Amino acid sequence: MAPARRSEVLVIGVGNPDRADDGIGPLVARRLSERHSNGARVVVCSGDVLGLIDDWAGAAVAILIDAAALLSQPGVVHRVDLQSDALPCELSRPSTHAFGIAEAVALARALGRLPERVIVYAVECACFDAGGAMTAAVAAVADELAAHIAAEIKTMQHPDEARHA
Amino acid sequence: MATKTIRVDLMARVEGEGALDLAIQDGKVTRAQLRIFEPPRLFEALLRGRAYSETPDIVARICGICPIAYQMGAVHAIEQAFGMSVNGALRDLRRLIYCGEWIESHALHVVMLHAPDFLGYPDAIRMAADHGERVKAGLALKKTGNEILRVLGGREVHPVNVKVGGFYRLPERADLARLAGDLERARGHAQDLLEWASGFAFPDFERDYEFVALRHPQEYPINAGRIVSSRGLDLAIEDFHDEFEERQVEHSTALQAVLKRRGSYLVGPLARYSLNFDRLPPQVQALARQAGLGAVCRNPFKSILVRAVEMVYACEEALRLIASYVPPAAASLPVTVRAGVGQGCTEAPRGICHHRYEIDADGAIVSARIVPPTSQNQLSIEEDLAEVAARNLDLPDDALRDRCEQTIRNYDPCISCSAHFLKLSVRRA
Repeated sequence: MAPARRSEVLVIGVGNPDRADDGIGPLVARRLSERHSNGARVVVCSGDVLGLIDDWAGAAVAILIDAAALLSQPGVVHRVDLQSDALPCELSRPSTHAFGIAEAVALARALGRLPERVIVYAVECACFDAGGAMTAAVAAVADELAAHIAAEIKTMQHPDEARHA
Repeated sequence: MATKTIRVDLMARVEGEGALDLAIQDGKVTRAQLRIFEPPRLFEALLRGRAYSETPDIVARICGICPIAYQMGAVHAIEQAFGMSVNGALRDLRRLIYCGEWIESHALHVVMLHAPDFLGYPDAIRMAADHGERVKAGLALKKTGNEILRVLGGREVHPVNVKVGGFYRLPERADLARLAGDLERARGHAQDLLEWASGFAFPDFERDYEFVALRHPQEYPINAGRIVSSRGLDLAIEDFHDEFEERQVEHSTALQAVLKRRGSYLVGPLARYSLNFDRLPPQVQALARQAGLGAVCRNPFKSILVRAVEMVYACEEALRLIASYVPPAAASLPVTVRAGVGQGCTEAPRGICHHRYEIDADGAIVSARIVPPTSQNQLSIEEDLAEVAARNLDLPDDALRDRCEQTIRNYDPCISCSAHFLKLSVRRA
């Protein structure tokens, strides 16, 4: 994957589409690229999250959509803007050999490769079974979340229009 | 008598969950046990009754870092049971995807998991602030290894393109050409990392291991060879279970493998390198010597150097395989199912990984037995720990604990493969 161009908005759907709700990130990414990405580059990361660090080098904004552990109800969406908030550890899954998004963000920051702005949408999920169907409440948020992110990208790219709208 | 206990609830930078119990009495180490309490994963039982064709994709799930090792052990064993062998370009493609696995696995361990030990950082993230270029090089190497898996295996984690008889789909020439460009840069990164690591301060520690690895008439061993040891063992892979046995120990949910006649042995980069230095290309041998390695390395702390040497080799070998690639007539050979027993053994990044399957006339798995490298190294890890601790009893508890953790990380143990890992307690009486 070519590195992102400077000033680019990069949207990354993180997750494995073959593991039920874990596919929500890729599903939102697909909805966004099918309908209204508003010029953002949309990619899917189904494997090594450390690879993201290269992908987002030079991008001004990175928007990540990922599955999160269940805290309240499947389908609840958390928006974390890393400019002002830390990524809550309750939402990340610990691992040793496989690094998670929190580690990738920290490492990119240390390497000077973190985009100026990183926004994480974490969707609470209930089922990560291999080959399982996505929980209805999780799948139901895909369209709305894609539309919300598209609007957010438009606002970032045309702040004046958004102000006068 | 005063008793002192040092406890680490979860050890960082190893794969899986477990604990180490170190008992010290009257200034002597009386017990060093690697307690693995990860629940058994029962893959061998899971395979029983499944079709032979499902096996490569099931065993790939044993490990997210070394799925190719499991896939290759399985397909080789099943092909042997069916009386077939895969050669030529298909064999080369299998070796190429295996090079990808060595590159991504070794890059992760050398830079992200092991190097912080030598430089006094708690993790790679803290190390990145001072050694950013090295971390970037490690990430680039890992990405190149992952990309080889993606191009040949369909995806970078748990690839889905390996099958009995070959592959489901052949790679495009353009994709291989692009990989070659990545590999040229990766080879440079690997050389830089080897030079960097050669400047680390290594503990003065050697043990007289019995090294066990594959040996091939021409190649540095990855996917084929006889099983040899530094004490004269020379076996066909079919005779593995005649000389080695797995045994249960009370403190581990993973089986421990031992040599029936001599006990502990060592598999992995140190063994592979020390038994096959003459199979490395001259330019790679020269780089190893420049880094301070001899033809044999018995210092487990220097395994980081050997892994870096193997990264350089894997990049060179991958480039050679791509340059000589002529697409085969078909992506896979026809398979004729028959009842039988087959065995396969390849060099996973952490050492030999042996598979044995019995298959019925319909192609269903009757029995499966998989001996992963970390199971084979468990006893050696315990012996290293006992000796490292004995030589460092004068260290403060924190420093002793750090040294013990480093000793374990020398092995890049993959506890999730062997059953997972680590809580460390030291009891001084």
